[in-house]
Formats: sequence, C-alpha cells, structure tokens
Amino acid sequence: MVKTDFEPKIIGFLCNWCAYGGADLAGVSRLQYPPNARIIRVMCSGRVDPQFVFKALSDGADGVLVAG
Amino acid sequence: MSKLKLASYWAAACGGCDVAILDINEKIVDVANVADIVFWPIAVDFKYSDVEAYADGYIDVCLFHGAIRNSEGEHIAKLLRQKSKVMVAFGSCAVAGGIPGLANFKRREDIFERVYIESNSTQNPERVFPQTKFAVPEGELELPEFYKDVKCLADVVDVDYFMPGCPPTADQIWAVVQVIASGALPPKGAFVGCSNKTMCDECKRVKTEKKVKKFYRPYEIMIDSEKCLLEQGLTCMGPVTRAGCGNQCTSANLPCRGCYGPVDGVIDQGAKYISALASIVDADTPEEADRIISQIVDPAGTFYRYGLPGSLLRRAK
Repeated sequence: MVKTDFEPKIIGFLCNWCAYGGADLAGVSRLQYPPNARIIRVMCSGRVDPQFVFKALSDGADGVLVAG
Repeated sequence: MSKLKLASYWAAACGGCDVAILDINEKIVDVANVADIVFWPIAVDFKYSDVEAYADGYIDVCLFHGAIRNSEGEHIAKLLRQKSKVMVAFGSCAVAGGIPGLANFKRREDIFERVYIESNSTQNPERVFPQTKFAVPEGELELPEFYKDVKCLADVVDVDYFMPGCPPTADQIWAVVQVIASGALPPKGAFVGCSNKTMCDECKRVKTEKKVKKFYRPYEIMIDSEKCLLEQGLTCMGPVTRAGCGNQCTSANLPCRGCYGPVDGVIDQGAKYISALASIVDADTPEEADRIISQIVDPAGTFYRYGLPGSLLRRAK
C-alpha cells in the first residue's frame, strides 16, 4: 500500500442510546482510537436528516458515519 | 410624494417573470400611477448607458429576474445594485438558480460540446466555440464570459428581498407592489409574496396514510383529483415546498414541482425531500426499498429542479 499523509475527517452522528454509549464505553475503557472521527451525539439516529450529511460533506468532511 | 422609480432586469431567465408582471393585466395602469419605470429591457427602451448615468440609489426598487450565468449578468446585477435602494431577487432563478441552474449538473465544456458540436442541427467541423474577445478588421469584438457554474443573485450582490416562484403569481406580485408602494417594507432578507407554510399545509386534497409501493410519472396513471398526489405515487414536492402559489399545479392534477423553494430554516430542499420519501416508501426489505426508489426518473433533476445553485449540492464536480 502507498503511504500517504492523508488523514480523513469523519463525522459520526451517533445515537445517544447505543452507538454513543459504545463510544463512551470505549472512552472509560481507555481504548485508543484515531482522532479522525469527530462525533456528534444525536438523541436518535432517526434525527439525522440528509441535510446533515450534505452539510458535513460540503464543509469538508471526507466521510460521514451514521450509527445507531 | 414623488413616484417610485422601478427597474426590472432579466439575466439568465426565460422571460416568464416579465410576462408574470404583465399578467396583473389592467392593474399595470395602477402600477404606472404609483411608479415610473426607469429600466425594463423587455418592455421599455432604456439602455445600459441610461442606467450608468443614474445617480447611486436613484432607483427605488429593482426586480431582478434570472440566474447569473455569464459576466454580463453579474455586471448588470452589480450596476443595478449600486443604483437601487431595494434589490429584489424576483423568481426562482434569481432566488436559487431556477431551471438554468440545472446546467450545474454539467461542466461548461460539456455544455459547449453539446450546444456547438453534438446538437443535431449543428455543423461545426472546425470546432468553433464562442470567445470572449475576437479581433476583426474594424476592431475587437467582445462577448460576455460564460461562467463555470450558474449562480444565484445573492452570490454576486447583496439582496434585500427574495420573491420565489416560477414565475411568482400575478396576485402575489400585485400584493408586493402594494406593500412597496405603501412604504411598509418587511425586514431585510425576508421572503415576500409567499407564505412560510408548506404546500401540503394549504393543499385541499384528502390525505390518509402514505405508503408508496411504486412511483409513477403523471402520464402513466389516471390521476385521482381528490386524493393526495404523493399517495398516488407521484413525486409531488408539496411536503418540502413553500406555499404561496395558490396550489396551481396540484389544483390542475399535476404534482408540485417545488418552484417556490424550501421554507425558512431549510437549506436543502432536495435533501428534505429525500427524507420525506424515505418515510413513505412501503418496503419490507432494503432490496425492495432500493427497487421502489429506483423507479423515480431523474431524481436529482426532480428534487433540485428550481434550486440547484442555491442548495448544498450547488453543482456536479
């Protein structure tokens, strides 16, 4: 694989009750993970509007993760 | 009180907005009573040089239609902005790019290739394309530069009011003219001549549970004139479109095409519509959902028909 300096910015929309809980647990368990994921907590992944995804991408995100 | 000085201009537009102004019929005489027209290329013989000779702020209200497609549109927009106290983005093209804005799905080179090479009535073996400057024995000729993408009016100048519609309806134009004439101007940046509710909110059709198994184009089915069009499987943009047109299309048994644009607070009408469709597709499996959604012909062109340059998508890469 070609080595590059590319560091993607990934916006994660995480459900408060599951995926965000998991991310929180990763934190308290002191699991290391790369800082590329920028997490936005939503109260339900059903709250995520396609506009959020478009907005994230148009403002420079390289990827969007919706988890919940 | 001296009469209002009114200007109107078309940039990348079809002329329908001008016709819409004339559609106020005999009331145009009343407009002439309260206003002097100082620039209106389709109807009155003023030149660009006349506008250049006006003092800054000489024009009270400028109704600007059309998107900004080339350098001429931008130049006149800036000139009229300088000469006008109030600048109104009039019609869907000026507000959000309108139909000309659909060109943003293509690149400039693709458009030139289609228009000057591929189109059936064209013979152009030397591949001659329009140039911004061309030397002839008499001197140098100039053409406006065709921009890489279509812009909205607010992308090039400061806009005071937005009046959506393709075109804005005659009743709404008349109402807005009266408001302007009365001097009771709304706050800057307001959308005028429309409501802040959605089309669905004003639509009188019977709405029940929305579950769609198959999408149709209007010619494919006999349309029930009482029932919600979306429930009949037509991609009616009513849920995500600003009301104000008087439900003209849906009253004529045609689905709303979304020309009044999104309501306040929504920045991307197409994305909102994707969200709306997602909630009505009646599928049990992801494959079935894919199959139902893929029946929609030209989704991008349908969901962004009047507002691609003003949306988050803006243009194809």
